[in-house]
Amino acid sequence: MSSVVLEPNPLREGLEQERVPDASCLVIFGASGDLTHRKLLPALYSLAHDGLLPAGQAIVGFARPEYTDEAFRAEIKAACNEFARTKPADDAIWQNFEKRLFYVQGSFTEPEGYNRLKQKLAECDTTFGTGGRRIYYLAVPPNFFPVIAELLGAEGMVADPERGGPYTRVIIEKPFGRDLESARELNRVAVTTFRERQVFRIDHYLGKETVQNLLVLRFANGFFEPFWNRQYIDHVQLTVAESIGVEKRGAYFEQAGIARDIIQNHMLQLVSLVAMEPPVAFEAEAVRDEKVKVIRALRDFPAGHECELSVRGQYTTGSVLGEAVPGYREEPDVAADSRTETFAAVKVFIDNWRWADVPFYLRAGKRLPKRVTDISIHFRPAPYPLFKKIQGGRTQPNVLSIRIQPDEGISLKFDSKVPGATIRTAPVTMEFRYATSFGAEPPEAYERLLLETMLGDSTLFARRDEVETAWAWLDPLLRAWQNSPEPPDPYPAGTWGPPAADAMIEREGRRWRRP
Amino acid sequence: MSDIREAITGREVRVDYASIEQTLAELWRIEKTEGVAVTRAALWNVVAHASNARDHDEASDTLARAAAAVPQRTIVIRADPTAPAEMAAWISANCHLLGEGKQVCSEEISIVAGGDHVQRVPPLVSALLIPDMPVAFWWLGDLPHDHASYVHDLLESADRLIVDSSQFDSPTDLEIVEGVGKRTDTAAADLNWIRLDGWRAATASVFDPPQMRDRLGTLQQIRVLSGVSDASYFGESVQALLFASWLIAQAGLDIDGDGGVSGVEVLFEARPSQPPGVARVDLELKESSAAIERDLERGVLVTNVDGRIDAPEAVTRTSARKTDQLIVRELQRPHGDPMLTKVLPIAIRMAKRLSRK
Ligand SMILES: NC(=O)c1ccc[n+]([C@@H]2O[C@H](COP(=O)([O-])OP(=O)(O)OC[C@H]3O[C@@H](n4cnc5c(N)ncnc54)[C@H](OP(=O)(O)O)[C@@H]3O)[C@@H](O)[C@H]2O)c1
Repeated sequence: MSSVVLEPNPLREGLEQERVPDASCLVIFGASGDLTHRKLLPALYSLAHDGLLPAGQAIVGFARPEYTDEAFRAEIKAACNEFARTKPADDAIWQNFEKRLFYVQGSFTEPEGYNRLKQKLAECDTTFGTGGRRIYYLAVPPNFFPVIAELLGAEGMVADPERGGPYTRVIIEKPFGRDLESARELNRVAVTTFRERQVFRIDHYLGKETVQNLLVLRFANGFFEPFWNRQYIDHVQLTVAESIGVEKRGAYFEQAGIARDIIQNHMLQLVSLVAMEPPVAFEAEAVRDEKVKVIRALRDFPAGHECELSVRGQYTTGSVLGEAVPGYREEPDVAADSRTETFAAVKVFIDNWRWADVPFYLRAGKRLPKRVTDISIHFRPAPYPLFKKIQGGRTQPNVLSIRIQPDEGISLKFDSKVPGATIRTAPVTMEFRYATSFGAEPPEAYERLLLETMLGDSTLFARRDEVETAWAWLDPLLRAWQNSPEPPDPYPAGTWGPPAADAMIEREGRRWRRP
Repeated sequence: MSDIREAITGREVRVDYASIEQTLAELWRIEKTEGVAVTRAALWNVVAHASNARDHDEASDTLARAAAAVPQRTIVIRADPTAPAEMAAWISANCHLLGEGKQVCSEEISIVAGGDHVQRVPPLVSALLIPDMPVAFWWLGDLPHDHASYVHDLLESADRLIVDSSQFDSPTDLEIVEGVGKRTDTAAADLNWIRLDGWRAATASVFDPPQMRDRLGTLQQIRVLSGVSDASYFGESVQALLFASWLIAQAGLDIDGDGGVSGVEVLFEARPSQPPGVARVDLELKESSAAIERDLERGVLVTNVDGRIDAPEAVTRTSARKTDQLIVRELQRPHGDPMLTKVLPIAIRMAKRLSRK
């Protein structure tokens, strides 16, 4: 039996909410957690506020603590008032929203809770017309993923898409493993219960408007693409800087480090969007096929010399934005002799026709001077320095910079003549800022990603091979760092990382762009 | 010089109409040299046309608010052929804070012309448009049925003609709008049609559940109730006409030359006690009935399908949107609305049928 494909609703044509998914039951495992309160339910509420949730969409929270539905709703309303993009909650919309919000208590590891959950979901099917459609959001520490998947399967709560009928989808949060082996194991467990097309791996960077705009910038404009290659581009820089430290997540971060936390996922997603070939269609598989080719083309770190193409650092006491802050080793749940990196800079190459020998410099760190994510494309200089003699100096290369967050926008730097009787040049910038041109606040990444899951479109999610290929590339560096007798280079909190990171790029006559 | 500077505070400064562009350039240069963090932005040229002082003020206030969401060069024209023959221009800036002390500003130009000077307005406006930016033309009030060449010249460069059909006094106005859309490159837009967005979304939600999808084809009766204060005024009935026409178009129903719909009864009823606009819609289907109603107290639209809870109520906010919000909604659409193009001819035929009755 195959599922019947419904004609689209003709009354939706031309409406802002053109694509409204069929109502389903969305179960959030880990409903008492931080992610659920700060991101997931506020995002769902904002979707309801904007009229983007289907009528009848049911949401069921599942976690250890005891809550009545009423208590859970009150807590979530408070969270929406604080964190939703469309805060504070509007009474009329909230009343309608909370009618379909429930809580089921249970342990992730015992079948009893799953039975209660199953009953609740069956009730929702009859009351709300959710038709057996299920989305399981695993907002839980990754070690619970196998047991939850196994129990959902054992309790008959997962439908096989090959057999038609209503869908079951599962959303999982990063980290997707901590190395290639554990990622493979996680994926292996996933496919014993789910098929790959049922699995939606969230990388919230892909839900950001500016990240999606990278594709529009490159492929909706005719004039970037001809220059987007080794012939015109000298190098590319990516910076993901955070001003905060590890906050309450010391224990997690000790096991992870910045390379696992940021580079393996968010940064490689950005690299692949900057470097990918045009996909044959704007469809999940076509886009992800091209992205994974970039990751596959990342040049391996030379065996035995991994550390030469990389720098790692760890913050010490310092000050950020005027506040004195402790060093990493003084943070709660962090070992006094920790060797975990809180900063990493890596030079990578993409070995294909478009990018051969164009370095991509990546850096990510905590407790840097400010929070900023920025991509800059540095073009080659003009072929002949016509004005060199006249002004006795050098013209500056053009830089296209794409600010992902905050203050999202794009700027282009080029040289211009300084007004006056002599020929002097000075760099000027042409700027586009989202907030200036479009005013309205864009939807939160989680809103977009939840909606895409309901619609069954996985373009903005990481595919299994993307995740595994990324780990396969990063693993040797992680091992080399682990085996190195040297600890990470210290850098005072509030600086742009250790001096070795500057030296790495300056050796080649380049400099980090100040984002 | 100090005069021009006042424009940045939002005050109107009278300028020589022959040198508006130079004066604006000077204004922004002053701002730059004085180190004020001002960013200029524009995504649209918006030209508003008013024929009296009240509409002029309304256009100016409305577009000043709209400019915060869609930065634009605003040009407000007041042209009155019966006034003394003269022309004058003013400039001012519409600025709003973006946080961190940054201001985003766009400029507003006001032109007032009377007598035969009115004919000088179209070329002046054409010279003041920012190149490479689309042009929206907002016509306040009823469309002129004569002065064809004046309207034609003004609309020459317009990508969008924005009207409000709730201010129309006859079906001929709808025909003029349809004609512009058909015969020129200017796409028609109607604020009264945008007011129906919520109604369309709520009605669409009735047919979202898979089991309801096929039932749209079994529509037997459409009944639209509207708040009406003066039943003889055509403009008050247009929203209901547009709604019914949309449903007819999207349900794939046939409408004859006479404005009749085969196999479906279409009823329009007036509710004098209700505020203007559509108040309730009842749909009779072969095996179901659905109602969409506005709940003024809660500010939402509520749907009810066969009174059953398995097709629960859908909520769409219905708090009356202000004119600037409607204009912003229209300007945020990069292209015209093909659905309005599809709906207008049906609405015109039905309007004519009703006026014959
Ligand atoms: N928070 C974020 O901003 C963020 C960002 C990106 C990714 N993530 C990922 O999202 C997932 C959830 O993050 P979170 O911050 O929400 O985590 P969290 O606050 O620790 O909560 C997760 C949920 O798991 C439950 N849980 C934790 N340990 C448990 C145990 N030993 N036995 C049973 N239940 C347990 C918690 O229940 P109790 O209330 O009973 O403890 C809670 O419901 C993690 O995989 C994380 O890496 C989070």
